Amino acid sequence: MTEAIWLVAAAMAAVLSMSWLALAYENHWQQVFPQTGTLPNRSRLKLTGWAFLLLSAVFCLNADHPSMAVLVWVMLLTVAAFSVAMMLSHRPGLLKMICPPLFAARA
Amino acid sequence: MLNSLRMSMGWVHTWMGLVLGFVLMICFFFGALSVFDREIDRWAIPDTRFEPQPMPSFDKVLKPVFEQLQPDPVDMAATERRVVGSLPDPETLKLESLFAYNTHRDPVLLIGGEFAIPNEPIDPADDHQHVHGRATVNPATGELLNDDALKIGSDWFYPMHFSLNLNWMMLGYWIVGLAALVMLAGLVSGVIIHRKIFREFFTFRPWKNLFRSSLDLHNMTGVVALPFHFFFAFTALVIFASNIYLPVTHTTLKPLHEHHEMLEAARTGLPHEPSGVAAPLASVDAMVAEAKRRWAERDMAGDVGFLTINHLGDENAYVSIYRAGSDRVALVGEGIHFDASTGEVIREEPPRSVVSSIDEFLTGLHLQHFEHWMLRWLYVFGGLLGAICIATGFVLFVEKRKARHARNGSQGSRIVDALAVTTVTGMVLAAVGMLVANRLLPADLAGKGQWEQTAFWSVWGLAFLHAALRSSPVAKARHNPAWREQSLLVGLMSLSAVGLNWVTTGDHLIKTVFTDTYWAVAGVDLSLIVTALVAFYAAAKLRAPVAAQQKEQAVSRNKQVNAYD
Repeated sequence: MTEAIWLVAAAMAAVLSMSWLALAYENHWQQVFPQTGTLPNRSRLKLTGWAFLLLSAVFCLNADHPSMAVLVWVMLLTVAAFSVAMMLSHRPGLLKMICPPLFAARA
Repeated sequence: MLNSLRMSMGWVHTWMGLVLGFVLMICFFFGALSVFDREIDRWAIPDTRFEPQPMPSFDKVLKPVFEQLQPDPVDMAATERRVVGSLPDPETLKLESLFAYNTHRDPVLLIGGEFAIPNEPIDPADDHQHVHGRATVNPATGELLNDDALKIGSDWFYPMHFSLNLNWMMLGYWIVGLAALVMLAGLVSGVIIHRKIFREFFTFRPWKNLFRSSLDLHNMTGVVALPFHFFFAFTALVIFASNIYLPVTHTTLKPLHEHHEMLEAARTGLPHEPSGVAAPLASVDAMVAEAKRRWAERDMAGDVGFLTINHLGDENAYVSIYRAGSDRVALVGEGIHFDASTGEVIREEPPRSVVSSIDEFLTGLHLQHFEHWMLRWLYVFGGLLGAICIATGFVLFVEKRKARHARNGSQGSRIVDALAVTTVTGMVLAAVGMLVANRLLPADLAGKGQWEQTAFWSVWGLAFLHAALRSSPVAKARHNPAWREQSLLVGLMSLSAVGLNWVTTGDHLIKTVFTDTYWAVAGVDLSLIVTALVAFYAAAKLRAPVAAQQKEQAVSRNKQVNAYD
């Protein structure tokens, strides 16, 4: 059971990570926040994105043996990146929920 | 012409991708299905819809089953052609070695063995002097299952994935190997052509024109799943490298290989040859218990995945027991070998070397014996992303050229488009059509498996004919209506497969999900329903270009009519 919880956490961290990494690009930021104008703080978004990428790996390692965890992690990142791309093209509003206001503020 | 690296890479990517893309499409799609091959088997053979079971007692269940095992008639005929004189009556052949193989997903057990033959080989260098036998057993009852019931998942979709089921001269293996090699080249050349990898990592713009949006999807599915694509193409080559693609140990280095086998036998104490002195078989169950005790001592899960006996009935016979690899990436392992007549341990395999561990990891990650349902689904997703990548590649090829081909009167785009329809929607039709045939044909039909294979190839052939006949608009730079028509058919056939499963077996989704849960069958049914939904959605989306095309034609006809007025 705890294994399943770690895996769900890893999947969520992967989606959050990919969302922030995507939003760090001007064109994707514009898709989600058309009114905000220019991208507020690119490096903060990128840094948090990368941090969650690592966090996702840590969660995978908690769930499985390292040899298995590395496969789960890489595949989760693939699915997360694809999901974020699909959200951006079909329901960009969804990413507003994922993106807390902290990034919306100008640094 | 090809004056820059990117342009020359573009040429390689386009043409190699086109030619071998048709093969890769098959590898990806049937690979994705193979992740759940055992579950598809359960769907196709309703008699085996029971829970997976551990390796049964050898002494009580398997021993009598092995006594019934017969040499395979196809292998008998093939062996007869390689030896001097005719083979003895198959009933009289003696089993010289045997195996039983099981994974955590198998309700049924695969067993097999080699029967010794007395004949001399025609070619003295031919040392393959035995006939194989294979059978499937219900481990609960010890019954042999009907061989006519084709395991559609593990004996048809799975070999389709790596051999295209083209067994003549192992041609399919070689084509697939070449495709895997070209795929690696395609990944490298794709990365070189596509400069802005990270910038376009999340980019898909379905509102742009067909060429641009397909290119987005092609790049994105190629890049987000790049590690998956790379590792699966690479490990595919690793798996077959030593025994099929580069069999140096059985060709150039054969004497060295044989010498090494002798030395290894001497070192490990596992006899290389039989002694010729008969000896009885001690209790194998006691050996299994001892193996499990030793694994438990090392704090390892203790299910038997693979059991073999060599030199059966001889004084030099030995039993090898391997642990099932459900808890890690590597396959079976931690082998313990016993003297078959005394039951004493001859050898416990030491931990693997670094090189051997890497090899095990690479083959294991591809062959997936592990028990990890989430990773299995992630693999299915990776395989389908690969299929999308190749399908959009075909669309790009056609979209880029069809206007020019229409002007020049060339049929090139039309041919590629028809083949693309055949390998995308046509292939799904063939797979689903086989499942429909499986439910429509009576279970006791003689040669049922053969009929199912005929249905598979026939549906695929018809899909090709349909795609070719309907593709004439492509030569006029228009859209092929076959895409939409076959999508509709995929949807209808998938739903009818689910319905037929209900009617013929009584296993409907409410039962298999809620009241009498059986995920193997529920999973196949649910996947068929999802396939149907995706197919109907695609058909609805494809309606727009075809409808626009028809309107345009009507308008131009009216204009012509008006011109005459």
